[in-house]
Amino acid sequence: MRARTRHTLTVPAVALGVLLAATACSAPGDSSSDDAGDSGPIKLAVVDAQSGQLASLGDWEAKGAKLAVKEWNKKGGIDGRKIELTVFDDQGDPTTGTNIARKLDSGNYVAMIGTAESAVTVAMAPILKQAEIPNITSGQATALVDVKSPFLFLNGPTSTTYDSTLADYLVTTKQYKKIALISNNGSYGKGEHDAFTAALGKAGITPVADQVVTTDQKDFSASLSRIRQAKPDAIFIGSEEVEAGLIVKQARDLGITVPFAGAAPQGTPVFIETAGAANADGTIVSSPYLSNEISDASRAFAAAYKAEYGKDAELHGAKAYDGTNIVLTALKNSGVAKGQKLADEIRATKYQGLLGDFAYDETGVGIFKTTIGIIKDGKLSAAQ
Amino acid sequence: MQVTLQTLVGGLSLGAIYALIAVGFSVVYRTMGLVNFAHADVAMIGAYACSTFYLTSHLPFVAAILISIVVTGAIGLVIERVLRPLENKDFDLMLIGTIGFGTVLQAAATLIWGTTGRAMPSPITSGPLDILGIRIRTYDLMVIAVTAATVVLLTLFLQRTKPGAAMQAVAMDHEAATAVGIHVGRSNALAFAIGAGIAALAGSLAGPMLYVDATLGGALGVKGFAAAMLGGFGSIPGAVVGGLAIGVLDSYAGDHFQGYSVLVTFLVFTAAIMIRPTGIFGERTVSRA
Repeated sequence: MRARTRHTLTVPAVALGVLLAATACSAPGDSSSDDAGDSGPIKLAVVDAQSGQLASLGDWEAKGAKLAVKEWNKKGGIDGRKIELTVFDDQGDPTTGTNIARKLDSGNYVAMIGTAESAVTVAMAPILKQAEIPNITSGQATALVDVKSPFLFLNGPTSTTYDSTLADYLVTTKQYKKIALISNNGSYGKGEHDAFTAALGKAGITPVADQVVTTDQKDFSASLSRIRQAKPDAIFIGSEEVEAGLIVKQARDLGITVPFAGAAPQGTPVFIETAGAANADGTIVSSPYLSNEISDASRAFAAAYKAEYGKDAELHGAKAYDGTNIVLTALKNSGVAKGQKLADEIRATKYQGLLGDFAYDETGVGIFKTTIGIIKDGKLSAAQ
Repeated sequence: MQVTLQTLVGGLSLGAIYALIAVGFSVVYRTMGLVNFAHADVAMIGAYACSTFYLTSHLPFVAAILISIVVTGAIGLVIERVLRPLENKDFDLMLIGTIGFGTVLQAAATLIWGTTGRAMPSPITSGPLDILGIRIRTYDLMVIAVTAATVVLLTLFLQRTKPGAAMQAVAMDHEAATAVGIHVGRSNALAFAIGAGIAALAGSLAGPMLYVDATLGGALGVKGFAAAMLGGFGSIPGAVVGGLAIGVLDSYAGDHFQGYSVLVTFLVFTAAIMIRPTGIFGERTVSRA
């Protein structure tokens, strides 16, 4: 046995102390720096997961936002000032997110685009509210509305909209009586679960099975076997792309043949690839942006996206593109206002976007409609 | 009853993967007394490498696995080479070194393969077997078979061959091993390469069951590590039993405790480790700290 030298413990301890001291020095909501930066580039931030489990979401988001900024800069920016977009990586982690929120405050950013993860956005909201930095998030959990921050806006509908449209389609149009639920216990999954259950309740339907899984679960044999026993007509999934894909793949292996139903994640290529195109066939999706073929605007956006990145555009990129355009329109109309003035301007902005016509209410939600689509041959198209 | 058996099947399938990860941990540990914290990230690189050769180069699945084993074996050799000056001198630094390597590998994966992961289609296209209503995927049976074969081969290697015996000798007493002419560094390098190769095998096999992205290591690593602990760190049969136990425990916890399953799994794990600190098959052969 060798005695442990004492240095091995002191080094990390000192490092930790320095770290704590450094974070303690930057008090949240330090608004003294808000009056700087009225010339030079306009600083926008994109905060999203660029690494970790939700990195693909963050990547799509950043691509959509960058495209919007590029188009504005090509037209000469706003009031002759260029727009500068910085991408921050929150790793899908609320703690990292709050640290970034403080950075945005000290870095004179006028507005923030993102995040795609409701939990991170909720964690950042109080700091951004204090710092008076308007934030257009791509999250959809109802928890975002419950924050009641006048600086928080959504670039899409909330889970309530997604799920009431979906429940209405399943119960009224399809006449399904027996509906099973499987959702994860993360903020998105829980929000979906509650919104969908409430929507079913309004239609007088109680789910025949209600299974909750964890966000990092890999084997769903038990939950799916219980759902199979309940013999449902359709199965609602409240979880992100990859997990939903794994659930569908395993369900088909267990001999479950009924269609799955879900919100935005179930319309993405990641979901379809993870599940396998054949397994995802017939999945019913409630989404404000079914495909790049909805309108002339979406076709133009998809073409520009393809030219810029060589990949096909999808919902998340479209949402971020809309959100960024709304912020930039508000900046233009207000003569590059900041803080409360900019937030009020965003609230007053009427914008015809890819997802529909935005008109914000006092809760920060600007769009209240989704459409139903069906996956067929690995592609999402409007339900007939 | 059907649910119970189906849950068992699901748990065993993933358990086989955890077992392979745990075996890799144990090979390095029994030789050097070192827990290689980069191990699961090596598995992730292996999964990515395999997916590249399988999906992009369109090689057969088995060939893709073999190439990815060679690639990660080389990574294992590099890690060992960098850490060699510290061997038998500063253990804490070595541990931190392996943690650092894990982070580097994750960053490298994001740089090479981007942020969006990839889904690997199963190489076996035939449908699952249906035995009295219990569905068993053919692919899962293959994974269990491969795991069993790997464990048998590894045990034979350690017990019946000269380099294997040398590794055992180094594990028992590296100074005495040096005295009888065994090259300790080379023996450790071999252990690292074998561990990394087994990691690649585990990662590649997990690919079609899960989703390959930079966080795959995290998903496999925690459970694989827990499996090795439960079985007794350094014991090969222990790693197998531990892996299957963690897989099955996880599946049943998911059924009964739904969203709280992770908590329950680790509570049971903690209780087991408190009752038997050295794990099920644990023996105190390696103590070099």
